[in-house]
Amino acid sequence: MMVLLTLVLGSARAANERLEVNDAAAPVTRQDLESIQGAVTRGLVRARAATVCLEVGEGSGSGVIVSADGLILTAAHVTGGVGKLLAVVLEDGTRLCGKSLGLVAATDAAMIRIVEPGTYPFVEIDRSRTTRLGDWVFALGHAGGFDKDRGSVVRLGRLVRIANSTFQSDCILIGGDSGGPLFDLTGRLVAIHSRVGEQLQVNMHVPMSEFMTNWDGMMRAEFIGVGAFATKEVVGNGFLGLSSVARPTGGLRVTKVGHPSPAFAAGVRVGDVLLQLNGVPLVTREQLQRLLSERSASDTITLELERDGKPHILTFNLGDR
Amino acid sequence: MLAGWAMVTALSGQQSLESEYRMTGCAVVAAFESQRAVLQSSSAVIFDGREPAGYGVVISAQGHLLAKASEYLKLKAPTITVDRTNLSDVTVVAVDPVWDVVLLKVAAVDWLPVVYAATSAVPQGTWVVANGATTRTTRRLLVGIISANPREIPAEGGTALGVLLKAKSTALEIDDVCEPSGAKQAGLQKGDVIVAIAGQAVSKLAELTEALKGRKAGSVVALRYRRGQHEQTVDVRLVARGEIFTDPMNGNDQMSGDFSNRRSGFPRVIQHDILGTSKLVGGPLLDLEGRCLGMNIARANRAESFAIPVEELQSLAARMLDGAPKLP
Repeated sequence: MMVLLTLVLGSARAANERLEVNDAAAPVTRQDLESIQGAVTRGLVRARAATVCLEVGEGSGSGVIVSADGLILTAAHVTGGVGKLLAVVLEDGTRLCGKSLGLVAATDAAMIRIVEPGTYPFVEIDRSRTTRLGDWVFALGHAGGFDKDRGSVVRLGRLVRIANSTFQSDCILIGGDSGGPLFDLTGRLVAIHSRVGEQLQVNMHVPMSEFMTNWDGMMRAEFIGVGAFATKEVVGNGFLGLSSVARPTGGLRVTKVGHPSPAFAAGVRVGDVLLQLNGVPLVTREQLQRLLSERSASDTITLELERDGKPHILTFNLGDR
Repeated sequence: MLAGWAMVTALSGQQSLESEYRMTGCAVVAAFESQRAVLQSSSAVIFDGREPAGYGVVISAQGHLLAKASEYLKLKAPTITVDRTNLSDVTVVAVDPVWDVVLLKVAAVDWLPVVYAATSAVPQGTWVVANGATTRTTRRLLVGIISANPREIPAEGGTALGVLLKAKSTALEIDDVCEPSGAKQAGLQKGDVIVAIAGQAVSKLAELTEALKGRKAGSVVALRYRRGQHEQTVDVRLVARGEIFTDPMNGNDQMSGDFSNRRSGFPRVIQHDILGTSKLVGGPLLDLEGRCLGMNIARANRAESFAIPVEELQSLAARMLDGAPKLP
């Protein structure tokens, strides 16, 4: 039995070697085509299980799990910031909670950690930069949002342009694919989907080298660099959108709720009594203002309140004015 | 082989892949010559005047082919080209509104019908081939892979009768009838009042919506209406709402370039990633053996194309040929 297992491992390793068809200018024989087809079909099993849909506010993007404990790689414009809560949806529809770690604003790289402890399906990263121009690749992503019956959508293409912080492929991407994975024929992750051009054939990805370079900073939840894909938050511009007065027995009674406002959208209503913000008991209006002044527009807060004598807990993002 | 080797050397010196080596490039497509030969003999090009306006699947040696109904029926002067021969005098034999398929017939005697694949249940990642741009004499092709789970595509926004109801009315009074639509075909007019759907009395919009819920695009529903003093029941064919009412385009539609007008309301499809245009539908979807895995029926967006699976296509073809009047 041990011998058999060793053999299986051995052949799995062999399958990880670079495919010959990648070194031909174009496939010629039926065997070439079957070699590509077989590699994609085999690689898809793990790739699909590790590809997730990320739901952030009204929008959705994709991501891919790269460690058994739930580290996800995605695009910076999907997380939009550091320390944000978002929904992670697995292929089978399981919904988990994720929190964004760091990001690279100039090149569109970001990380997320699944909050629930667990053992998750993951893919191997191409750390050795073995990918070359013309290599066959396949893209996965929840194009247009999560659809359980459909599953994530796979597309085949080649790497058609390589620049320092960008790969271009002819795997056709669309909204919802952002942050999703691009794989080589051995099933290793080579890049993360970022954006598309006006021409249908122009599809851009962030190569793994960009993630490797910034790995430690992203793991420490740092907002790295300045760029178009994420805007650093300004502390103090967090906006809740309500007025309140202190209740003699503790808490703050809501006297007015702006419409529209983040508070209204989250379901706060006049007459509610705010008890705690992120676990801090609320006593005075000034104290609430001080707590808000330490936060940014897109920060997630947890508000514990009392309505008709019953407790409610709301978790939502602050907005800006 | 030498040419191939020279190319590899050239490629590694550059940072951009020449277009001929990309997915749609001639060097890649050349590997699919045997599948192209099948498209040459067993797919049809529908020309409208001089313009290619769609494709078809050849299903009999005697000149029968299937095409996308909603696209074909719009054409002014359609002619059919198979291989190098162009034929006019196209007869519409039958229409299947559920699948949006039309059976056409021209005077041909020696066509090579497609060979059906045994099953459409092939793994994702399987190569597929479809019609690409064409000339009058030569079929070209596009390649891609099976890219998602087979499934039903419910009618976008539900199904509709194809009528606009009067806003300020206590009854379900028709204010306007869309054209073309099942309501128009059934003879409904402005001023008619809908009183029952499938034997179920309806008097409010919510009841009407409920009565139509879950029904398939292309299916028929018995509608009872009042005109003046008289009540009458007619059969109305339902359409996918998205087909007659233009909803505001979402971001992905704007990103997609063109897409098929009818792209939903199919009982089951297989999905692939061939990037065609909305006109390049109606032809066969081939596997590496050159067998027909299905019929391309819609370009949903830039990343998703739908085909009728071979199982359903084969029985649809048989049913439509069966119902067709016997020709001498």
